[in-house]
Amino acid sequence: MPTLAAGLSIGEYARSLVRRLAFLSAVLVAAIWAIGAQGYFWPAWAWLGLGDLVLLDFAAGWAWRQTPGAVRRVACVWAVVGVAAVILVFTWLLTWLLAGVETFWPAWALLGLATGGSAYSLIALHDRVLVAHGRRALRARIDMLTRTRRQAVDAQAAELRRIERDLHDGAQARLVALTLQLGRAELRVNDQPEVRRLILDAQREAHQAIAELRDLARGIVPPLLADRGLVAAVESLAARYGLGTSIEIDTHRGLAPAVESAAYFVIAEALTNTAKHAAARRSWVRLTDEHRVLAVVVGDDGCGGADALGSGLAGLRARVEALDGSLRVESPDAGGTVLEVRLPCG
Amino acid sequence: MRVVIAEDLALLREGLVALLRENQIDVVAQVQDGPALLRAIAGHRPDLAIVDVRLPPTYSDEGLLAAIEARRRQPALSVLVLSQYVETAYASELIGEDTAGIGYLLKERVGDVRAFLDALRRVADGGTVLDRQVVAELLAPRNGVTEALSGLTAREREVLALMAEGRSNAAIAESLVVTPGAVEKHITNIFAKLDLPACEDDHRRVLAVLAYLRVAR
Repeated sequence: MPTLAAGLSIGEYARSLVRRLAFLSAVLVAAIWAIGAQGYFWPAWAWLGLGDLVLLDFAAGWAWRQTPGAVRRVACVWAVVGVAAVILVFTWLLTWLLAGVETFWPAWALLGLATGGSAYSLIALHDRVLVAHGRRALRARIDMLTRTRRQAVDAQAAELRRIERDLHDGAQARLVALTLQLGRAELRVNDQPEVRRLILDAQREAHQAIAELRDLARGIVPPLLADRGLVAAVESLAARYGLGTSIEIDTHRGLAPAVESAAYFVIAEALTNTAKHAAARRSWVRLTDEHRVLAVVVGDDGCGGADALGSGLAGLRARVEALDGSLRVESPDAGGTVLEVRLPCG
Repeated sequence: MRVVIAEDLALLREGLVALLRENQIDVVAQVQDGPALLRAIAGHRPDLAIVDVRLPPTYSDEGLLAAIEARRRQPALSVLVLSQYVETAYASELIGEDTAGIGYLLKERVGDVRAFLDALRRVADGGTVLDRQVVAELLAPRNGVTEALSGLTAREREVLALMAEGRSNAAIAESLVVTPGAVEKHITNIFAKLDLPACEDDHRRVLAVLAYLRVAR
């Protein structure tokens, strides 16, 4: 846009000129009236006309500043309606003051303008109002779903721990008591080999059931994780993988069971993959808890080339994503694998 | 022998009490949680405490912690810890610096009554008893330990496992159906291959083996 020396655009300069001319004209007609015959105060009509000009300029400027599109169109309509209403009301004011007309004759015209403006606004903004309402509803729904999903995941994790505890302290403990009773019975039938054999068979079955229950419980939640939390469980995992695994842990507070379990199974799976496929000399686990996000990094200096879409990692990804977390694997063919998981933990 | 039992499941506790009494072992107290165990030990000064790892109120590891605390207060006390699962970390903590009078077994071992009573007596006499599942985990392939262990023959590995479980030479010989002299030879070979200092008595040997496997400090 071309500008003048003062930094104003030509349009702005013209508008300011119009405003000044209007002001000068208003003073001029008042002076002519004062010098001349006086009597009927006719400059009021000139003032009305000049005032309308300034008002129109102001209203147009305001309307033009609105967001382009439907909102600006509606603003233009209301600018016209507003200017027209002001002209009508002031005209009536002058006819009342100068000519003694008492009837408020612009009433119907004002009503018509307001109705027309409102009708236009409603039609033009109809879609916008609906969309805004829809967005608000959608956001509320997303918030609600996020919250209830997290509650469901937490409830499930707590429930799994309860099941693990019940398996150990309920069914498994009863089977242990059963094998003890069988053992005591077996001591009493030394002289009846057939009965003794039956008892020993029963005991073997009970032992089998106990071992199966223990494996089942361990698959749900490893006992060390349930008893002592993530740090102890990870230290034990690293110890099991031997000297080559270093761990660095910077998290102290108690984490939600769902987050602990997810982090544990990520680390266990990653270390298992390292042991099975990577032929690594060294591996490391790093756990950091910053800005309400638990970051789990498991890396090794092995052969790389891990399949990020493999079934093991896909299962972990699903588990992590259920907690609104993310999982990233870097495993170039040149060597080394780094798995990074980030879990929001409130 | 005077024994205190800490076990929260009544069925199992009563079964144990009956079993011990049938075998002329004196059960002086039965308790259900850690603090009660410590009180019973202070009051009765038993020879042995049989303790479940998970006890009320949290059912996590308070039984283990109570057992360790009881040993700290009364170093002469023997402790046999029973659990539904075994963790090598728990075994390490329990053993600490002294393997004398320590046992750590899976609960279901009580079913084999003769072996269980034997383990109980060994622990009460100051011996060490580690569950074979703990030992299997200690001997499982892992970095560092694996290479040295791979130099052992299959028979030597068997002997090493039985030693880690806390068996005496005589018991190892019986269980492998060989002569005590043969066991002695295997042990000498094992100690040479693992570069461990030779020692005469059973207990010191167990300690050396467990230290090698990083269970004892």
